[in-house]
Amino acid sequence: MFWERLYLGMISMSRQNSGKIILGMLLVLFGTGAWVLPGLSGWVQVFAQGSTVIRIAGSTTVLPIVSRAAERFQSRHPSIKITVNAGGSGVGIHGAGTGRFDIGLASREITPNENQRYASLHTTVIGRDAVACVVSSEIFHAGVRTLSKRQIGYIYLGKITNWKQVGGPDRPIVVIDKETHRGTRHVFMHYLFGNSKARAPGARLVTGSNNEEQAKIAQSDSAIGMLSIAWMNEDVAGIGIHEGGQVIQPTLDNVRNGRFPIARNLNLITAGQPAGAVKLFIDYLLSEEGQRLVAESGYIPIHSPHAVSRVAGSHSK
Amino acid sequence: MIQHSMFHEKGPVFWWTGLAGVMAAGTIVILFASLVIESVPVFKAEGISFLWGVDWFAGENYGALPMIFGSLAVTGLAVVMVLPFALASAILTSEFLSGRARLMVKAAMELLAGVPGIIYGLMGISLLTIWVRDVFGLIDGNTLFTAGLLLAVMILPTIMTLSEDALSSVPGELRDTALSLGLTRMETVTKVVVPQALPGLAGAVFLGIGRAMGETIAVMLVIGGIDRLPQPWFNLFAPGQSIPSKIGREAAEALGFDVQWSALIALGLVLFVMVMTLTFAGNVLLRKAR
Repeated sequence: MFWERLYLGMISMSRQNSGKIILGMLLVLFGTGAWVLPGLSGWVQVFAQGSTVIRIAGSTTVLPIVSRAAERFQSRHPSIKITVNAGGSGVGIHGAGTGRFDIGLASREITPNENQRYASLHTTVIGRDAVACVVSSEIFHAGVRTLSKRQIGYIYLGKITNWKQVGGPDRPIVVIDKETHRGTRHVFMHYLFGNSKARAPGARLVTGSNNEEQAKIAQSDSAIGMLSIAWMNEDVAGIGIHEGGQVIQPTLDNVRNGRFPIARNLNLITAGQPAGAVKLFIDYLLSEEGQRLVAESGYIPIHSPHAVSRVAGSHSK
Repeated sequence: MIQHSMFHEKGPVFWWTGLAGVMAAGTIVILFASLVIESVPVFKAEGISFLWGVDWFAGENYGALPMIFGSLAVTGLAVVMVLPFALASAILTSEFLSGRARLMVKAAMELLAGVPGIIYGLMGISLLTIWVRDVFGLIDGNTLFTAGLLLAVMILPTIMTLSEDALSSVPGELRDTALSLGLTRMETVTKVVVPQALPGLAGAVFLGIGRAMGETIAVMLVIGGIDRLPQPWFNLFAPGQSIPSKIGREAAEALGFDVQWSALIALGLVLFVMVMTLTFAGNVLLRKAR
C-alpha cells in the first residue's frame, strides 16, 4: 500500500515536473553507487585474503627476469600470487610511487624529479645490462659494423640521413626513437647528448617496448635503434662503438669489465623498504637461484660468480 | 480503480527503462564534465594554443595539432577509401542477392565486424606496413596512409552490414510500386530505395567513423607514433600520430598527475568533441537533405 502511494506520488510529480523526477532518479542512482562500490571492494578484499598478491609492472628490459622468477617463486609459495605487466620504466617508477604496483621495474635510475615527487622510493639492484646501438641486419652485412658516438648523435639529430654517409649503402636511414619515459631511451640519450631527455629530431618512428623496437628494426632493411643487449638477435645486430681510437663491441664481457660505455642497473623500485611477501620475492631474486635467472635472461648478475652463458640473443625467436 | 490501472500503466517497465535512459544520459554528462575539469591544468599552462601547438614533449611542451591532424587524416582517408566498397556491397547484398546468399554475406560481415582491433593491428604490423613500403617504394611502411588503409578494412564490415540493414528495411511495396511504374531495377535502387534508406545509411557511416576515430591499438602499431605534422602537410605517406594512439602510449606513465595527464585528458576531450560535432553535423545535413 505504502509503495503504491509512493509510486503514485512520483507519477503525479513526474507529470508536473519531469526535470525533478530525473534529478531524483540520478540521486537514487549515484546514491546507490556510493553505497555499493565500497561494499564491492570490500568483498574483493575478502576474496583476496586467501592469497597475497604482488603487483609488478614496468620496464620490458627487466620483465623477462621477473616473469621467470615469478613462475618459480609461485610454485614454491602457493599462497602468493604475482602479476607481472609491461609498460616501461616510467610506468614502473610512478606505479610504485602511487601504490598502483608493489614493485616497479626500471632499467634506469630514478630521476631527481621523480625522487622529489615520491619521497620514500627504495631501489634494489638485481642485475646489470647495457644498451646497444643496433641496426637492421642488412645494414650490418653491408658493412656498417661500427659507429662513433658523434655519428650516432648526428643520425638522431637528423644531420646524417643516409647510410652512405657512414660507409653503408645508398639508402635513407630509418631512425627509430622510443617513448620519452622509456629507461632504454634515458640511458642512450644520456650517453649520446649528456641529457636523458634530449630530443631526437631525426627520428622517423617512435616505439615502446623492447619487443616493438626489435620487431620494427627487424622488419626494416635500413633502421637504426637502441636496444637492451639481451634483445639483439640475427635480424637486429648490435654495432661496435668507436671511441678513443678503439672499437668496443656490445658484449656482456665488455659490460662486465666496464669498457662498454652504455651500461646500466636493472632496478626493482618499492615504496619504502621492501617488507613481507614483496621482500620475500626480492630476496629470492637476489639469491643464487634468482641470480642464475638473471644470467639466463641474458643479463649480468650483480654479485655472483655465475658465468654468463652467451653473448646476446636469448629473446630471439 | 482508476489509480490501480494507473499503477499498471506506468509499471516496472516504465521505471526500469526510464532509469536506464537516465543512466545513459547521465554517463555522457558526467564523462564530459570530468573531461573538462581534468583538462583545465593544461589549458592554464599552455593556453588555448594547446589546440594548435605543433610541439609535444612530455614535461616541456604540449601541442595537440599533430594528433588532431593525424586523427582527422586517418579517419578521412579510411572513410574515403571504404565508402564506395561498403555502399556498393550493401546495395548488392540487399537488392540483388538471393535470400540465402544474402544471409551468408551478412553472417560473414557481422563476424568480421566483431573482430577485435588488436587482430587487425597484428595483421597491419606484420603484413600491411611491409606491403605499403614495397608497393609505394617508401623507406618505411609505418605511415598515416597505412593507418588509414587498416582502418578502412576495419570499418568496412560495420558500415556495410548496417547500410545493408537500412536498405533492406525499406518496405517491399515501394520497390514493387517503382517497378510497376516502369523504373528499371537500377533506377529503383538509386531513386527510391537509397533515398528512403538515407538516414540509416548516414547512421552506418557515422558509426563507422566513430569506430575509426576511437580505434587505438591497431592504429598505434602502424602509424609511426611520432608527434609531428607531415612535411608538406598533405603528405600522408609520412609517419604521424592519432589522438587515441597518443593516449595509449602515454597514459600509463602519466596516470593521475601533472600537466601531462591533463594534456592527455584534453586530447580525449578534443576527440569527444570531434565525434560529437561530426554526429551533430551529420544529423543537420540529413535533416536538410530530406
